[in-house]
Amino acid sequence: MAELIESVNPTRMELLKLKTKVKLAKKGHRLLKEKRDALIVEFFNILEEARGIRRRAERSLGDAFIALILAQSTLGVLKVKEVGLAVKETHEVNTVTRSIMGVRVPVLEIENEKRTLMERGYSLSDTNYMVDEAAKKFEEALAAVVELAEVESSIKLLSQEIKVTKRRVNALENIVMPRLDATVKYIRMRLDEMERENFFKLKRIKTSQERKEAEATA
Amino acid sequence: MKISIVADFDTVTGFRLAGVREAFVVDSPEDALEKIKHLIKKEDIGIVITTERILDKIRQQVAELMEGKNFPLIVEVPDKDGKIEKKVDPINELIKRAIGVEIKV
Repeated sequence: MAELIESVNPTRMELLKLKTKVKLAKKGHRLLKEKRDALIVEFFNILEEARGIRRRAERSLGDAFIALILAQSTLGVLKVKEVGLAVKETHEVNTVTRSIMGVRVPVLEIENEKRTLMERGYSLSDTNYMVDEAAKKFEEALAAVVELAEVESSIKLLSQEIKVTKRRVNALENIVMPRLDATVKYIRMRLDEMERENFFKLKRIKTSQERKEAEATA
Repeated sequence: MKISIVADFDTVTGFRLAGVREAFVVDSPEDALEKIKHLIKKEDIGIVITTERILDKIRQQVAELMEGKNFPLIVEVPDKDGKIEKKVDPINELIKRAIGVEIKV
């Protein structure tokens, strides 16, 4: 049997209070269980999505590296580095949050992901087509990587929330509710016992009084 | 918010071409950890991109640094030598912790 709640008086008041608590715990337990199940469904949906996005990002990055190596082999590693330093910064991400079952997950939007040749900002006269190609491929890869960051962080946050919800459900199920039930049972038994005791007392008094009366009349 | 990259020379060069300005070349995972530590403190960094090869060595420390924080998001990508065999797959690890059983997806 589960532990009792400590320092509880076996009174009717207390019993009523406990009964409302039991009701509340049951309701909370049901709701949390539903939340947990919904979160898990959501988690698997996103998981599926994330696998696809990761594969896409990896492929896109692989292509980008091939383009980069080609650029490096035609222009030289240092020249490509120089070009990289000349490229204008255009990438900013806007972050907003979206709510999945009450979990705030980030949504990232990348500004200006595809740029034209002129917008990149390096000199076209002393670079070649390979560099343009590499830059383009890396822009695409970057967009994919940003998307990947978004879904992976959603997964992380969701899994944390699932963990917390699961712990709450288990705590209610295995500790709080048995303890409440046990205490209710204990109070009931104490009250019943007291009633029996009283009943017995009354009987006792009645018989002794009857005996006295019988003696008096005799 | 800005995008930042902490990686080896080639990866950094590539992402610089894509217009990432907060780019840091690092030689060792320890270096990378220092840089990432620094970037986490900055307020305006939205994403830190790093390579699998680097992050696999310092995953624990980075996770500790990110405890209770939403930004920056740390994302790992393969470097030019391709994907690596990770000690623990972080996504599978999350599934295991969340659901309680290991599921291969």
